Amino acid sequence: MDESPSPVPVITEVALIMKLRQESMRRLISIILLAVMMLIFSLTNSAFFTVSNLLKVLREASLSGIIAVGVTFVIITAGIDLSTGAIVGFCGMVCANLLYYYNLPWQEIFLISIAVGTACGILNGFIVTKLRVPEFIATLSTQYLYRSMVFVFAIRENNVITNKKIESYPVLILGGSINGFYLVSMAFILFAVIGQILLKSTRFGTYVYATGANRKSAELSGINVDWVRWRVFIITGFLCGIAALFQMGRIGSVTTDMGTGLEFDVIAAVVVGGCAFSGGRGDVFGSVIGAIFMAVLQNGILKYNFPTAVQLIMKGVVIVIMVIFDSIYNQYVQKKIQQAVQNEDAVQIRKGGAEVV
Amino acid sequence: MKKLLAIGLAAMMVAGTLASSAFALEIKTDAEVAAEESGAGGGEKAVGKDAYGEDIRIAFLPNVIGDSCAFAWAAGMQKYLDNFSNVTFDVYDGKASVDTEVQIMDELIEQQYDAIILQATDAAGLAAATDKAEAAGIPVINCNLDAATTHTCLVAAVDVEAGQLMARQIGDSLPDGGKVVIISATPGASKGENIDTGFKGVMEEEYPDIEIIDEQTGEWLTENANTVMNDFLTKYDHIDAVLCHNDAMAEGAAEAVKAAGRLDEMQIWGCDGESKMLDYIEEGLCTGTVYTNADLQGQACAQFAMYAIGSGITAANLESTPIVKIAPIVVTADNVGDITEDMRW
Repeated sequence: MDESPSPVPVITEVALIMKLRQESMRRLISIILLAVMMLIFSLTNSAFFTVSNLLKVLREASLSGIIAVGVTFVIITAGIDLSTGAIVGFCGMVCANLLYYYNLPWQEIFLISIAVGTACGILNGFIVTKLRVPEFIATLSTQYLYRSMVFVFAIRENNVITNKKIESYPVLILGGSINGFYLVSMAFILFAVIGQILLKSTRFGTYVYATGANRKSAELSGINVDWVRWRVFIITGFLCGIAALFQMGRIGSVTTDMGTGLEFDVIAAVVVGGCAFSGGRGDVFGSVIGAIFMAVLQNGILKYNFPTAVQLIMKGVVIVIMVIFDSIYNQYVQKKIQQAVQNEDAVQIRKGGAEVV
Repeated sequence: MKKLLAIGLAAMMVAGTLASSAFALEIKTDAEVAAEESGAGGGEKAVGKDAYGEDIRIAFLPNVIGDSCAFAWAAGMQKYLDNFSNVTFDVYDGKASVDTEVQIMDELIEQQYDAIILQATDAAGLAAATDKAEAAGIPVINCNLDAATTHTCLVAAVDVEAGQLMARQIGDSLPDGGKVVIISATPGASKGENIDTGFKGVMEEEYPDIEIIDEQTGEWLTENANTVMNDFLTKYDHIDAVLCHNDAMAEGAAEAVKAAGRLDEMQIWGCDGESKMLDYIEEGLCTGTVYTNADLQGQACAQFAMYAIGSGITAANLESTPIVKIAPIVVTADNVGDITEDMRW
């Protein structure tokens, strides 16, 4: 009789795979890459590893990072939101308009920015879930809609768009810092912590993962998938409203191009952080690492003043490498899991006395 | 639901703690921090640096680096600064984005450049960043597009006057009135606003019979202007003149008009005076442009930067921004030959 394989290694391997889940491994790699990049910049440029510069890097990561918290939810549900930059511009321009023409108090401005952002999120979610328009098309369309609204609300003098400085100190102070630690960074950390808890420790978070991993199964399990998808867009819109306030505070004005291209920075941060476009994978912590990663890369690029073409190549290459790695590693893990399950099945069959072919 | 409530309450507590600590610790704007860090009280330099002896770093941050104007300015600056072996000159790319320019300004301040030459994509948008640099003791010299705040110097091509000059050229050539279309800059861009102000002001006051029948943005780009012009040509049976806020758009419009076979019907005007536009004027594709000697303008910016570093002048010493105006020259087929090769960019 053939010597039957010991079940021990099979169980160990399965356990190992379970422990070293793709998500954790991916996160580890992001952190290692971030550390390596920081090490390289630190060793080659004395201006990089200073407290002041690191706080500025965190500040640069924070604006896209705040929105990335929301977009993480969207991408985990296998969705996409291309309208975030335009929402930021729209929220900002509405506030600038109301400040200039009506001189509203800052409390109302804050609420209006958040309300406009949330309303945009509600509209995105409605188009996606109720009108059954694919996320990509829906948010691409609303991107144009919100950007056009920026021009509608733009301040005009003699019928010519004229961007004005913001004089409201409570709005400007949002671009400020306490002992070098920027308020936007504090908000980033706060929202990241809340987002991570929401995603990992609540029923809603579980529904988000379930919706992204297998929408049909989630539906059959009784999850109101549409409501989950709608809510993730609302969260993103809400965070865009918050981000707009901080951007206004930093720039001290709102221009018609505010937030243009921001959606790509956000998506890049989320993808580098380990979220898969196929859904069901990733978390806010990863996106935080992704946002910081992109900010460190940008900071390093500026320190060396690489030509524009090189800058774009560097950013593009990093994202492509991450996506390719994800794809290959995903296949590898799937294969491993399949093998492990097969082996385990074989052991079980042998235990039962059946012959394995 | 309970968890959400708990998270919400926790968030409020954290926010409350942060807010209370913030007030206790005092929040400061960037400019306030920069002024403190410069250690010279509000950005005023106690003594200027020896600009012609010590190591100096000057940065040029144009709206966008791929633009022929930016290239000519940078060449002019480099030409002047090449005279000094102690000066390092770096050019950054603003990527036509206020957000990017603000981010780069922060980086230049962090890297402690000795002077920044800035082409502000938006006057209001770059005001806070300019304030911050000046507060840190770094003189900001604006090239062409100003920031809406007091700073060391503005070296400007005169856009309002350029608009007025083009209005008069078109107005005088159409004594019986006519129809004009405008292909404008990206909405909100300072240069576009200025040209519009000058052009429309003169048209309204001096040439009431000339009607501006349409205005669409070409977003500074040749290809967009070509599309817009094609649209105008389909829409209107007769157009007397086309005003474009820059030469690149005028070139795009000219190609569209040429393809439609209507070159004889209308005048096409641009603004900048880049060498390609001068070629178009010589070939009869465009009517005219307002030429600015960008090379000279770049040299003037660099000269001012060196002077400001040496003298220690920053916004703190000034009541308003000193302005150096580069004289505009209207160039048409009659005088395009006067712009010699060495003046072309």
